[in-house]
Amino acid sequence: MNTLLTKVLLLQNTRALLCAASSLQSQVLTTQMPLGVLLTNRQYRSMPTHGIGKYRHLLPKALPKKKKDRVQAKQIKAATATEFGVFNVCVSGYDMTLVEHYSQYIHNLCNHLDIKVDESCALPTKSTEVMVMQEQGTKMYVDAVLKTHERIVQISEMKATLFPIFMEVVLKNQPEGVRLCVKQHTEADYQARFKTRPELEGLLAKIHN
Amino acid sequence: MAAPFTRVYRPLWRIITTTTLNKGVRNVSSTRQQWSAQNVKTAGVASPWALHGAVCLQRLPVVSQDRSPIEDEFMELMHQMELERSLLSDHELRLLEDAARMSRKQEEESDEEEEDYRDKDIFTAQDLEDIWEQKLKQYQPAQRSQGVDEKGVSSSERCLAESLILLVKKDVGSQKLWLLPQIQWQTGETLRQTAERALASLPVGADLKATFLGNAPCGFYKYKYPKDIQKEGSVGAKVFFFKALLSGHKHLPLEKNSFAWVKKDELQDFLKPEYLKQVRRFIMAL
Repeated sequence: MNTLLTKVLLLQNTRALLCAASSLQSQVLTTQMPLGVLLTNRQYRSMPTHGIGKYRHLLPKALPKKKKDRVQAKQIKAATATEFGVFNVCVSGYDMTLVEHYSQYIHNLCNHLDIKVDESCALPTKSTEVMVMQEQGTKMYVDAVLKTHERIVQISEMKATLFPIFMEVVLKNQPEGVRLCVKQHTEADYQARFKTRPELEGLLAKIHN
Repeated sequence: MAAPFTRVYRPLWRIITTTTLNKGVRNVSSTRQQWSAQNVKTAGVASPWALHGAVCLQRLPVVSQDRSPIEDEFMELMHQMELERSLLSDHELRLLEDAARMSRKQEEESDEEEEDYRDKDIFTAQDLEDIWEQKLKQYQPAQRSQGVDEKGVSSSERCLAESLILLVKKDVGSQKLWLLPQIQWQTGETLRQTAERALASLPVGADLKATFLGNAPCGFYKYKYPKDIQKEGSVGAKVFFFKALLSGHKHLPLEKNSFAWVKKDELQDFLKPEYLKQVRRFIMAL
């Protein structure tokens, strides 16, 4: 604090001196005194180094973090004469590694051929219980549980001339044990992926009744 | 004559499904939804080229290809690595528990009786495993090759791991040539319908059901008639190829001298060089 006071006094002294000596045009004006001690370290705008060290303007604009919106239903584009609309390539089977690798293969193929892939998702696994009838008796007991896995690659705006080539490549590389199905995408398909809400449906039923 | 233009084709919607493997041929079925062919517009100028539509009928591979030695070794290595890194499954844990329990029971006879009464199963894990092994032995997988002579080209069940193309022997001018089935285009139909007709017009022994994948041709070949046949109005012919996939069963072997199912690398034994050059461009060998 003392040093600051002394510096202030010194400054005032020099200022006084400057004012006094300005008329005399003395060399005090060119003093080496660090006038910038109290003043901030700003460069003058005409100095070439003005703004040196600034970086905030180079960073990407960080948008304010918004809460996750509810997933909106996308508009399903219709087919035109030269392009398909939105269609789903469904891969299903019992062996999950095969099914997943095949769906990844299809997705990579689309990326490579510049085909737009809207979504690449999985449908819930369906379990099938294989029940075997006992030989002496009427009771059935569970023999095996088979799980059917399903993956969907949703493609939109594919050119009609490219489609036969794409289908041929996909069919020729289909592994054994995997079933392939190419279907048009409908609203019903989209809604089927959501979970049912029994309370909501109960309340709606009550309102209507 | 130029080919007619249908302005709005049937909207290209199909549901294409492949069902599980049936003997010999994969079932590729497609159900078409709507069809509207409007505005068939023909140009009035006659051109000296005759138009033909041809079909490239392919039988898709039925089984996957055999692995090369390197792929085999790699697969073994990956299996081993995955096995070593994996955790034990429920069944394996049960096996270990049972084994531990048995060994404890043998060492100390009296103490374990309560435990036994509490979780006594009808089958131990080891018994289950034995039952499963028995069932596996009873299972007979299908043959990878149907036992058909690999060199004879008349059966569609040869070389199940690769895709085959149908060739027919046809009289062209004075010679008999091996070609893809083709037929002349008639006014008022699209080229694709010509190709379908070409397929249907094959002799009756071939009951071939095929799925055409698109309306666009996949290849093109033009040839000039020999000088003595060339007249004012006809210089030669242009052939447009359409791809189709074999979808129905076909067990009957066709006549040897008029039909052949060949792989891509065997094509050069059958087709003329110029023709072969154009055809090769659109045939994918897997």
